[in-house]
Amino acid sequence: MIHIENISAGYFKRKILNNVSLNIVQKDFLGIIGKNGAGKSTLLKVLCNLIKPCAGDVYINGKSISVFSKKAFAKTVSFLPQYVDTSLPFTVPEFIMFGRYPYMNMFKIPSNKDYIAVKKVMEFLDLTDFAEMKINELSGGEKQRVLIAQVLVQETDIIVFDEPTLHLDLGIQNSILGILNDLNQRHNKTIILTLHDLNAAAEFCNKLALMEKGSICNCGSPEEVLNYKDIERIYNTTVVVKTNPISNKPYVVPVCKVICQQ
Amino acid sequence: MPKKRFTCVYLVLVVLLVAVFLFSLISGSNKISLVDALKALFGNADENLIVIIKYIRLPRILMSCTAGAGLAVSGCVFQSILRNPLADPFTLGISGGAAFGASVAFVSGLATITSFFVPICAFFGVFLSVLIVYLLSMYKKFDLNAMVLSGVVVSYIFSSAIMLMFALSKATNIQTAFVWLMGNISTFDEKMILFITFIVVIDIAILSLSGNIINTISLGGEKSKTLGIDIKKSVKILFLTTSFVTASIVSICGIIGFIGLMIPHIMRKIVGTNNVILIPVSAAAGAIFLSLCDTLSRILFSPVLIPVGVITSIAGGAFFIFLLLKSKKGALKGAL
Repeated sequence: MIHIENISAGYFKRKILNNVSLNIVQKDFLGIIGKNGAGKSTLLKVLCNLIKPCAGDVYINGKSISVFSKKAFAKTVSFLPQYVDTSLPFTVPEFIMFGRYPYMNMFKIPSNKDYIAVKKVMEFLDLTDFAEMKINELSGGEKQRVLIAQVLVQETDIIVFDEPTLHLDLGIQNSILGILNDLNQRHNKTIILTLHDLNAAAEFCNKLALMEKGSICNCGSPEEVLNYKDIERIYNTTVVVKTNPISNKPYVVPVCKVICQQ
Repeated sequence: MPKKRFTCVYLVLVVLLVAVFLFSLISGSNKISLVDALKALFGNADENLIVIIKYIRLPRILMSCTAGAGLAVSGCVFQSILRNPLADPFTLGISGGAAFGASVAFVSGLATITSFFVPICAFFGVFLSVLIVYLLSMYKKFDLNAMVLSGVVVSYIFSSAIMLMFALSKATNIQTAFVWLMGNISTFDEKMILFITFIVVIDIAILSLSGNIINTISLGGEKSKTLGIDIKKSVKILFLTTSFVTASIVSICGIIGFIGLMIPHIMRKIVGTNNVILIPVSAAAGAIFLSLCDTLSRILFSPVLIPVGVITSIAGGAFFIFLLLKSKKGALKGAL
C-alpha cells in the first residue's frame, strides 16, 4: 500500500533522514520508535507530503505522492501533528468540521453530507456531550479525542499520528490507543504513528520500525524489534525486556544505573 | 454558534444600524427633526434642508458606514490569517504607508493643486508599504511572525519619515496634514463613495464566503496543509485583497485607529471565532461604530468638527484597558 523508497530528507542544509526504505501494507498498525532526534517526525512529514525529500520517493498504491493533487492527497492520508492550534474558541463541531475541508465546494461551505459525517464521528468517539463546548475549554485528553475526530471525519484509509499520547496520563493514553486499535481492527484503517512509550507501542502495534540517526535499523513485529541489545545501544541505557503474561507482548523495563554497577 | 442566535445578533445589529443612521441624519450643528430629515431625504422639503441632508450628511454617513465595515473586516481577516490578536492595518504598516503618502502630498504642496492628490499619494504610500512587507515576508517564506514584524518595522520607518518631513516644512501644511492623519471623514470627495462602497461590499461578500478557508488556516501550518490548503497562496491572496481594501479606505478617510483591532475582538466575544459568521457581523458592527463616532465628532464640540480618529482611538484605548483589567490571563489570545 505504502512504499517508501530510499528517502533522504532534512531541513535547510541539515540532513535528518538517510536512505530510508519501508513497506507498509493495508491494515498495518505501524509504530515508529527511536530516541529524540532519530528522524521519526521527519519521516512522517515526508510521508504526509509536508517535506519534499532530497532523494527517493514515497508511493501510495503505486502512485508517487508528488503527483497527487492537494485535495486528492487530503482524501487519501490524514495527519495529526504534534501541535495543532487549539487556543481559538471554536465549538467542538466547528473544529471537527475543518476535517471535511477536502470535500467542500469552492467556497468551502459544508453540505448536509459534511454535517452527517461530523455527527457520526462525534457519536463514534462519544463526543456528543461536548457539542456546545469550545475546544479551548477542554482538558488534554478531551482535546486529543476532538483532534482524532477531526482526523477521522477526513475519511481517509491511511491515518498518521505524531505522538498522539504526548503529555497524557496512563488511562487516557490507553483509551486513545484503544480507539486507534479499534479503527485499525474494525474499520480497516492503516495507522502509522510515532511513540516514545515502547511498552504501549509493543502492546498496540502489529509492526514496529526502530529508528536510529535517520535510518531504520530494525523493522518487524514487536517481539523482533524490542530486543534488549538494540534498545540498550540506541537509548544508551540498561533495560530488561520481559513478556507480558496477559498479552504475550514484550515490555521494556529500564534498570537503575546504580543497581547495574552493584 | 446556533443559527437562531446568529440571526438574533444580526437582527439586533441591523436595527442598531438603522437607529444610528437616523440619529446621524438628524444630529449636527443644525438640529433637524426626524420627519423633516426623512422628507428631505426623499426630496420633499426645503432646498437648504435637502442640501444638508442629501448632499452633506447622507454621503458622510454612507462613507463612515463603508469605512467602518471595511476596516473591521480587514482587522478580522488579518488577526485570523496571521494568528495574532494585535494584527490590524496599523501593525501591518498599511496605515503608516497611507500616512506617509498623504504627508508627502500635504508637505510638497500637491494637495493645494487638487485634493485628489491626497488619496492618490496615500494609495501609493500604502502600495509601497505593502510591497516592502510582502517582499520581506517572501524572503522569510511567508512566516506569519515575520509578516507582523515586517509591518511593525515598516510602520516605524514611515513614522520617522513623516516626522522628518514635518520638521522641515511650514506650519500651515503640518496642520492640515495632522487633521488628515487623525482620520477625517469630512474631507473626502463624494465621487469616491460609490467606488469605495462597491469595493468594500464585494470584499465583505468574498471574505464571508471564504470564512471556512480563513478558519482552517488558523489551525496552523502542518495541519492546514494536510487538509489540502495551499497556505502560502491563500495567505498571499487574503493579505493582498485585504490590504487593497484597507488602502482604498485609509487613502480617502485618513488614519482611523482601533476599529480593525477592537470590533473583531468584541464580536468574537459575542458570536465566537467562526469567520463565516464573524466577518459579516464585524462588518455591521464596524459600520455602526464608525458612523456613531463620526456623529459624535460632529456634535461634541459643535460647530467645531473634531477628527473622527480621535474618538475611535479614545474609545478603543478605553476598551483595551477594560479588557486587560477584566480578562483572565491569556484572554486576549483566547478572544481571537
